[in-house]
Amino acid sequence: MKKHHALSLFLASILIVGFAAVAGSGRNGSDLPAPPAIGTTIDDFKLPDTDGAEHSLKSLTGKNGAVLIFISVQCPVSNGYNERMEKLAQDYKAKGVNVIGINSNATEPVAAVKSHAAEKHFTFAVLKDDGNKIADRLGATRTPETYVIDAGGKLVYHGRIDNSQNTANITSNDLREALDEMLAGKPISKTGGAAFGCSIKRAS
Amino acid sequence: MRLRFPLLLIGLAAVCALAGFAAPAQTPSTGVASRARHSGPFVPDGLDATEVSEIDLEGLKKILQRDPKDPRPLLINFWATWCDGCREEFPDLVRIDNDYRDRGLNFISVSLDEVTEIKTTVPDFLKQMKAQMRVVLLNVKDPEPAIHAVDETWDGALPATYLFDKDGKVVFKYFGAIKPAELRSAIDKLVRGKQ
Repeated sequence: MKKHHALSLFLASILIVGFAAVAGSGRNGSDLPAPPAIGTTIDDFKLPDTDGAEHSLKSLTGKNGAVLIFISVQCPVSNGYNERMEKLAQDYKAKGVNVIGINSNATEPVAAVKSHAAEKHFTFAVLKDDGNKIADRLGATRTPETYVIDAGGKLVYHGRIDNSQNTANITSNDLREALDEMLAGKPISKTGGAAFGCSIKRAS
Repeated sequence: MRLRFPLLLIGLAAVCALAGFAAPAQTPSTGVASRARHSGPFVPDGLDATEVSEIDLEGLKKILQRDPKDPRPLLINFWATWCDGCREEFPDLVRIDNDYRDRGLNFISVSLDEVTEIKTTVPDFLKQMKAQMRVVLLNVKDPEPAIHAVDETWDGALPATYLFDKDGKVVFKYFGAIKPAELRSAIDKLVRGKQ
């Protein structure tokens, strides 16, 4: 029996060391945090706005859901979507879905995020994710990158806003189509989409 | 005593499973590796990076498919002039290209700038960087099929860097500005020593 205990301890130590190695390999640029699967309930979180006031995800979510958008002050792709994001916020607020901007870039201080939001006339909430904790939790890697959460708190869409930075070339309005399907109570036909964007600059 | 053998088997299985988990960057991603083993047309070196050629999705796939007659390890960097991290890492990539070209590294730089900038912003930046690697500009209406052709796990965040060995396996990938020492260490394992 002692031998069995020793063997069990040996195996347990291998498992512990192995998992530590996996955890250690997690947050670098070759192995970015994985996003939650579609259908996952997103746990509530709190982040400060650009004036330092804390808001929970739940408190900012509209009666029919929320769109989280990871945004940037400097990224030209994110900035190329400013007007589209504001229009989206206005169009869907009336439908009970609130847009929430999140800035997780370690290189963009809250003062810059505040002046950028004012300059671009954002009417939606913009939160500052110091230490990129929420970007890590949601597996966000680029700007702009969006997450649609339904009224029940479930993730129903994760990905791009549309297929082109250039509004003249848009042929696939993925985010709006997902929102419209969600609001109509239909299954989401396309639950995500990839697009080129700027890497979120994580705290080292 | 009878329990020992099954326990050993479980232990071995656990170690194997963990080894698989613990080295995701060392294992080929399905999207690239499976395609990269197939043959494809030879992609010649271009030493005048100021001439940026336009490619479409098929052109990108050809690059990823490799040429069995070209056994050189392949480094691909996806970037754009509008991307801070890309501009930040570019001098390191130029140095890596200069240091490893004669040691057998094939480096292809894929720009995601607008095609309207193929004769202006992109070559201007390359000239400023004194870049000599082959540079292509990917012009696609929808980026999603191109991104997935490279790697199913990539969502398009730039910059992104992939290193393939001679068999087309991804041996290194990095999202965000590279750490030069890490990339050099990965390349060192694939190319011949300094002459």
